[in-house]
Amino acid sequence: MAIPPIAALEIGTSRTVVCVGESDGGRIKITGVGSYPTIGVRKGQMFDLVQARTGVETAVKLAEKQSDVSIWQVLMALSGGHILATVNPGMVTIRSSDHVVSRDDIDEVTENAKEVQIDPERQVLHTITQSFTVDDQPGIVKPEGMRCKMLTLNVMAVHGVKSRVENAVNVAKSAELEVTDVAFSGVCAALAALTAEQKRNGVVLIDLGGGTTNYIAYSNDVVAAVGSVGVGGDHVTNDIALAFNIPLNRAEELKRAEGAALIDSEGGARRVALKADVGFEERMLNCKALHTVINARMDETLRVVRSRLHDAGVLPHVGGGVVLTGGGAYLRKVTELAQRIFGVPCRIGMPVNVDGLDKVEQPASLCTAAGLVLYGHMTYEDRGMLAPVKNIFKGWFRR
Amino acid sequence: MSQEQGSGLLLLGVGGGGCRLAASVRSAYGEGLRVVCADTDAQPLRPVAGAGMSAVLLGGSRLSGHGTGGDAILGRLAAQDDLETLRAQMQHVRTVVILASLGGGTGGGATPEIVKALHDMGMATVCFVTRPFVFEGEARAKSADRVLPMIEENADSLIVIPQDDLFSDAREDMLGDAIQVSESLISAGVTLLWRLVTKPGFIQLDPERLHKMVLQGGNARFGFASASGADRARHAVEALKSCRLLRKGDSLSKASAVMLGILAGPDLRLSEIGEVMGALRSHAPKGCLIEMGTVLDAQYEGRIELVALSFESWVAAVSQSATPAKDAAPPAAAEPPVADAFPIQPGSRRSRAKGSKLSFGATGRGKFRDVEPTLHEGQDLDVPTYIRRGIALER
Repeated sequence: MAIPPIAALEIGTSRTVVCVGESDGGRIKITGVGSYPTIGVRKGQMFDLVQARTGVETAVKLAEKQSDVSIWQVLMALSGGHILATVNPGMVTIRSSDHVVSRDDIDEVTENAKEVQIDPERQVLHTITQSFTVDDQPGIVKPEGMRCKMLTLNVMAVHGVKSRVENAVNVAKSAELEVTDVAFSGVCAALAALTAEQKRNGVVLIDLGGGTTNYIAYSNDVVAAVGSVGVGGDHVTNDIALAFNIPLNRAEELKRAEGAALIDSEGGARRVALKADVGFEERMLNCKALHTVINARMDETLRVVRSRLHDAGVLPHVGGGVVLTGGGAYLRKVTELAQRIFGVPCRIGMPVNVDGLDKVEQPASLCTAAGLVLYGHMTYEDRGMLAPVKNIFKGWFRR
Repeated sequence: MSQEQGSGLLLLGVGGGGCRLAASVRSAYGEGLRVVCADTDAQPLRPVAGAGMSAVLLGGSRLSGHGTGGDAILGRLAAQDDLETLRAQMQHVRTVVILASLGGGTGGGATPEIVKALHDMGMATVCFVTRPFVFEGEARAKSADRVLPMIEENADSLIVIPQDDLFSDAREDMLGDAIQVSESLISAGVTLLWRLVTKPGFIQLDPERLHKMVLQGGNARFGFASASGADRARHAVEALKSCRLLRKGDSLSKASAVMLGILAGPDLRLSEIGEVMGALRSHAPKGCLIEMGTVLDAQYEGRIELVALSFESWVAAVSQSATPAKDAAPPAAAEPPVADAFPIQPGSRRSRAKGSKLSFGATGRGKFRDVEPTLHEGQDLDVPTYIRRGIALER
């Protein structure tokens, strides 16, 4: 089945990214990437729609130029602390005389489980099927043909506040783009960065974004926990700015140039120079203090994720380790910090499931957008595991 | 065992120095004393468990039991890692006596964190902390000074023992001996206090009265003295008055409450108690509340030992009637009248105005000041973590 090129839009807190991906039936190749700094978004929420639109328009233009397609429909990645996941069980009794589970039973239980009761002000972004329980035997992936009286299916519904989802979609609309579907950033990043083996062994993906930290945990091939914490790289920058009484842009530069997530005990009293700027004299800052500020923030953020995973009961099942994506993954020593906190190996996640991003700088920060392209392909082919709530696929692109 | 639990008292040593003190109190006191030693260094903790005390390794996953190397920030994080383990040790405990020596990584870093956690659990905390010797260098003294306000903020009573004050001016000790001597002196004092509270005496100073005293105690000074032979009562009081730890009696003459223990052999005469109390009363200011207790023990035959805790800013609790203190104004966080005999209240008992230096309003949130806050377990995550954790930055 030929699939037209798919464009994915991520309005991140620090950068707006557009990825275009095409497939010749096999793996997906990213043919165009457009990236532009975002203004008007804080902690994943839109504050200034006009300024955010400028970022989208520029990123789209860049991606169009590189991929040589004209984009008018996009998929959109969403994040923000308002995004939550609820697990909903569906149940059916197997009525056939031989008690063998049929395709119809599975369809029925799936429909059943997807009827999630949530707050009317919230909107389901997507539903993810977890695993079946056949009578009292949990963890079954393919129950078809098994004998039982009762079939249960757990479905995880990822949902967010309607008005915030609409605000994000409206930014794209104001840039004359049609949004065909929305997806949670954490799910997208996992699609791009995690291998089948990792998912089988159990793995946590933590997407360290500018305004939010999204996480998704797999255990036994099943999505076990999903969520978002409204703390990100911007908080690190803000902490530095407050600690040393410097403007935010200087704090951001300092973080990128000298920042580290662990306190360097060997560095001793090393000091770094903060170059003179208009209205500012050159200053020397204590490097250890800088690392202390960053360490406190990153330690806390990762611990919040850890406690959420602990509450969800996933923590003992993540032998595959921790994978970090997003711009924050490039903070020095952050993998070591995560390794200490989670007690399992940790590494930076690359968008391994797509091609064409080898030459890009900091590929881990493109995982979400690349994964969103994959998401578009998956839902287009409707493989069933990640079914969009609204299926509105018309023609995708005008050539 | 039941007696230890019944007293609701627990001795907690934090860090290398604190654990050594706790262990020596334990060996001086003998059985029946609940001791918990908490340290980041696994090595000195090993013998602890064998000696009938509980050991808690702080920050094992972070430091692999190698200690902090003098880094107070590591000590603080290590304590945060293992607060749950420590909490589990606190069953049936109402008053915790904490021993720590400041200036180092664990004693200095972990102690404020632990005191805060205990305070939040609603326990009364009495902290005996030592300030480093002058010869230990300025860095350690500075580090101790940084930590003290953080402990003061949450401790019910804080007793600071400057190690230099343990010695007379012209003392020519060996450097190595000095620390040992100071430790043995402090542990002797704490042991005396402990005996006073837990061993039955004719005039008993029970754990309840200690609990009551320390709840509103604030900063306190701690001193002890002993004398033997003829006229021992008068000599002991004189020695107490000139004790350097009590600023040579200066502290006693300004105290608003004093807890005095008299430990003596069965040969203690009533007239001697009268002499001690009389001398103390005439020395202390008018209206000073003096709580007294005695312990009679054959091992003190022929001797008299005095141990005093002098509270300079003690304020009587509202419900207590026997309060001669002049300005017995209710504390800021007024206690509701509780029928319960044990008013354990989590959260702030003392006014925090004095200790909290970190008042951050909208400014602490920086660029997030007009954004909906990210809340997690009651904390506003938009405020910098280092501010909320109270981490002091080296400049």
